[in-house]
Amino acid sequence: MAGPKARDRRNMADEALIRSLFNEHGKAMLGYATRLTNDRAAAEDVVQEAMLRAWRSPDSLINSKGSVRGWLLTVIRNIVIDRARARNARPPEVAETQNTVPVERDHAEQVVDHIVVLDALERLSSEHRDVLVQMYLQGRTVGETAEVLGIPSGTVKSRSYYALRALRDLFPKRPTGMEGAA
Amino acid sequence: MRLSDNHADIDGYVIGELDPEMVRVVEEHLALCPGCREEVRSLREVQRLLASVPMEAMLDGPPDDADLLLQRTLREVRSEESGTTGRRTRWAAAAVAVAAVAALCVGMLVGWSTADSEQLASAAPGAPAPAPMRPGTRFVTAQDPGTGARLTVRLVPASGWVRLNAAVSGIPAGQACHLVVIGQNGDRETAGGWLVSTRAATMGVTLDGAALMDPAKVSMVVVESTNGSPLVAADV
Repeated sequence: MAGPKARDRRNMADEALIRSLFNEHGKAMLGYATRLTNDRAAAEDVVQEAMLRAWRSPDSLINSKGSVRGWLLTVIRNIVIDRARARNARPPEVAETQNTVPVERDHAEQVVDHIVVLDALERLSSEHRDVLVQMYLQGRTVGETAEVLGIPSGTVKSRSYYALRALRDLFPKRPTGMEGAA
Repeated sequence: MRLSDNHADIDGYVIGELDPEMVRVVEEHLALCPGCREEVRSLREVQRLLASVPMEAMLDGPPDDADLLLQRTLREVRSEESGTTGRRTRWAAAAVAVAAVAALCVGMLVGWSTADSEQLASAAPGAPAPAPMRPGTRFVTAQDPGTGARLTVRLVPASGWVRLNAAVSGIPAGQACHLVVIGQNGDRETAGGWLVSTRAATMGVTLDGAALMDPAKVSMVVVESTNGSPLVAADV
């Protein structure tokens, strides 16, 4: 049984975890949740739930900033999907809206994708990372990326080739027929 | 029109920067060349993974005007804490994430639960294992007299990789650590890292991880600080 001092220490560690998640990943979490829900108040509820899940289950906090963020963003997406499903389970009160998020792929696979990509992006040089972020996360063309980054289009192209390959080489190989993965 | 000798057009094709005539030339080449086809397929997969990541993932720092959100979350944590004497994993989806990451067998630590003394004892050599032991499972333990850090590891062999369950204690709070697996030929695989919490400093911590190394070739498991100085090393 933990004494009062042990409990105080534990409380401090718990609060420190929440504060560090908020300070490091809060903008990313709330930005993403707001886009998915199109509703700031609902987004704040989702982010609160995601941080509480991280706190209740620190088993899932993995070893790099990118991994933690990938995990949190996937959790946010799943909370939004779960809430949309719960709404849809009731008799429809209004016509369907664009806010309903389709379930695209398996949850576990998505967790791994985000964790792996963000972890690998962190390890690229900033020149390579910037180009990939503009082109693929922000969806910009080569010309737009060149303008945003202030570099020639030819440089954007050549960096993107190298960066895609560098990122590919950082991804772990997908296991095939591996035993005991659970 | 012909494909360039260095296949630079394949790169242009992948990022969609070719005119229709060159697209046709590249596609004709791809139909005949399995090597280039595989190259394009693997780069397309990288593009797909990148595009699946939300654009907000690159935003850093705390959100604007969201102090109430932080306060509300902290209040919830305090109220849940006061209603429980100990915390255990309660969220099933975390197990899904853990299983998925373990399946990838990249060097990640996927466990992070504060151990009490009974748990540490149960991970010690000779103590009954909590689950049926897979053949080839080994326990190693070590204590460093200099740093005072103590490490007990269970190594469970898998196909070409090794699963680790480590109990670590005696490291001060705030220390950032790596769990590193060393091979007989000097290869190093980082199984993951963690920051020692106040609770873990006093009570120890257990961690589950995986390293992509042939189980037969593991010679040592080391806990080291993130700047590379060893805190405790256990020979396997």
